[in-house]
Amino acid sequence: MDLEELALFEQSVRRAAATGAGDDLDRALFELGWADALADDPRSAISVVFETQGELNATSSAIEDVIMRELRLEDALGRALVLPSLTLGDPPGVIERGRVTVRGIATRALLRCDTVAVPAIAGHVNVVALIEPAALERRPVKGIDPASGLYEVSAHSVGTGEGMPFNSVDWEAALAKGRLAISHELVGVQRQMLRLARDHATGRIQFGRPISAFQAVRHRLSESLVAVESAHAALGAAWDHPSQFTASVAKAIAGRNSKTVVRHCQQVLAGVGFTASHPFHRYLRRSLVLDGLLGSSRVLSRQIGEELLRTRRLPGALPL
Amino acid sequence: MELDDFRSSVDRWLELNAELLSPDHSGFGSLDEQMVQLSKTRRLAYDAGWMRYGWPERVGGLGGSPLHRAYLGEALASRDLIDPGLYSLVEVLAPTMIDYARPELAAAMVPRLLRGDETWCQGFSEPDTGSNLAALTCRAEATDDGWRVTGQKVWTSLAQYADRCVLLTRTGTTESRHRGITALFVDMTTPGISVRPLETMHGVEEFSEVFFDDVRVPFDRTLGEVDHGWSVAMDLLPYERSTALWYRGAFLYRRLEQLLNDAAVGVLAADDVGEVFEDLYALRARSRMTLYRLDAGEQLGPETSVDKVLLASTEQALFDLVPNALPHDLLCGDDEVSEGWRAQFLYSRAATIYGGSSEIQRNIIAKRLLDLGDDR
Repeated sequence: MDLEELALFEQSVRRAAATGAGDDLDRALFELGWADALADDPRSAISVVFETQGELNATSSAIEDVIMRELRLEDALGRALVLPSLTLGDPPGVIERGRVTVRGIATRALLRCDTVAVPAIAGHVNVVALIEPAALERRPVKGIDPASGLYEVSAHSVGTGEGMPFNSVDWEAALAKGRLAISHELVGVQRQMLRLARDHATGRIQFGRPISAFQAVRHRLSESLVAVESAHAALGAAWDHPSQFTASVAKAIAGRNSKTVVRHCQQVLAGVGFTASHPFHRYLRRSLVLDGLLGSSRVLSRQIGEELLRTRRLPGALPL
Repeated sequence: MELDDFRSSVDRWLELNAELLSPDHSGFGSLDEQMVQLSKTRRLAYDAGWMRYGWPERVGGLGGSPLHRAYLGEALASRDLIDPGLYSLVEVLAPTMIDYARPELAAAMVPRLLRGDETWCQGFSEPDTGSNLAALTCRAEATDDGWRVTGQKVWTSLAQYADRCVLLTRTGTTESRHRGITALFVDMTTPGISVRPLETMHGVEEFSEVFFDDVRVPFDRTLGEVDHGWSVAMDLLPYERSTALWYRGAFLYRRLEQLLNDAAVGVLAADDVGEVFEDLYALRARSRMTLYRLDAGEQLGPETSVDKVLLASTEQALFDLVPNALPHDLLCGDDEVSEGWRAQFLYSRAATIYGGSSEIQRNIIAKRLLDLGDDR
């Protein structure tokens, strides 16, 4: 996309995300050409859609589109995807004797689909199994973020689509792309939390001056900006040098830095930010769920560290 | 030369000349030994041409972009051929001369610096003006036959080795703050200058107190315009936060790799190692963005404070692994390897202090990037 197209795309995504969530946003994204954008210029499309979604606390099924595209399931309209259970990145399904057992997460796309794609492990091979939506037990996730629009789904040893061979897929590559998308959403969440805290600090008067004049407050906001910018930079580098490893690093940083931003911004927002009527808590909640989606920072950092300790070598440094 | 060609040519040269370039000392080395190594590396890289890339032709350079310099420094630091802190001084001193010295002076002097024939220092901080640089008081009086400088500087890196000094002096009233400062280029052999090295807590006389007692400096050694020395000081910040920071990132990458090799099995927690690696990745990613902005001719400004805060926190997080990874070496070891780790661990404690403390950086971020207004 050239700059003008990108600006237009961004505008329409923003408008769509501000007015709709869930089904409405999915329809709006479809109408404004999200699928084409994703095919033509995945980096721009993903960064715009997910950062905007994060910023506006919106939800959609866009993450499924990102992953399904990598799994080469993009042509399948009316198809939903099962994502890994929270905090992990393993395929949500296991195939045994031609039947699939599922434990994972789904979005609202589940409610309107004809078929469900389940990334699964069959022996040592990653495949996608297609099953009927009715075969899944589903429970809307209330949990810490009732507005997340997610469902916990499970199925025990169900049959798969007739005549559908299990095509082996590159799950790790698809997961990596999904992680970049969620990292963008986390950056959007972070920027919005910082914006809320900054606006509060400059408007709230105590001791005869805005609290943004106090160094303790200023430094918390500065630290938050450093956290956002470092997550943003790591994400950019992961796009420039795409690999499963760099996507894990970017997602780990984005999740970890979210905690920093949450901590500082909540403290600056103080009592007001603790009320249910102030939007801050929605971002706090969303940041926790997004950190958990497709592998939490905790899990990823440990995996990264274990790999480095095992090989005792660092992967080639990010080149100029 | 294209960056990719430059990169592979430099790599090849470093490989072919590995023996020649390797330090004469073993281990971490004393400051004297490190300075010898620095001069040697500079001379060899200058004579081979590499050190001249990224500098303008009028000061002995071969043209090219800051990215050339960034890669050379990275290549040298990641092979432990130079200490990145000592090596980077040139990175801020040469641009000052190029931008502010008389063209003939810059043309005569800068090649000596690049080639490692000379060492220069930077006389900025004073006992009463650390973070508050604009309050400096080292006085330069204009007389019939030039400036007469009297006052004191402190934290002047490598002053005891230095042939010249880029010195900030007070030429207006103290109240004039940043509007009454003039930068001078001073020969350190001039009568009236005395240098008293300070020993740091990691046992290195890295910086000094420098005393000026009625020191004569010719008018033609004025850098920039009289009373406009503040811009000289401000204009070098972009270099300190771009190429110099990139070298340090490369150095830290090398240190983490070394730590993974030196640590016994099972002493390092995987989560800790993972997090430090991630921080290092983000630091380099940020620094790389900054370098490309510099290369594109953008004016670097307050946003580089983010880079400096990231560097400081990453450096300390990395060396915070050392007490867990190598407890015996750090606490009781008296061999060369232990000395090296100990010195570097202790040095890392200063990362949030030098080059503008993290508090000053956060003040800048708050005011300039978050637009929070004045802090009073």
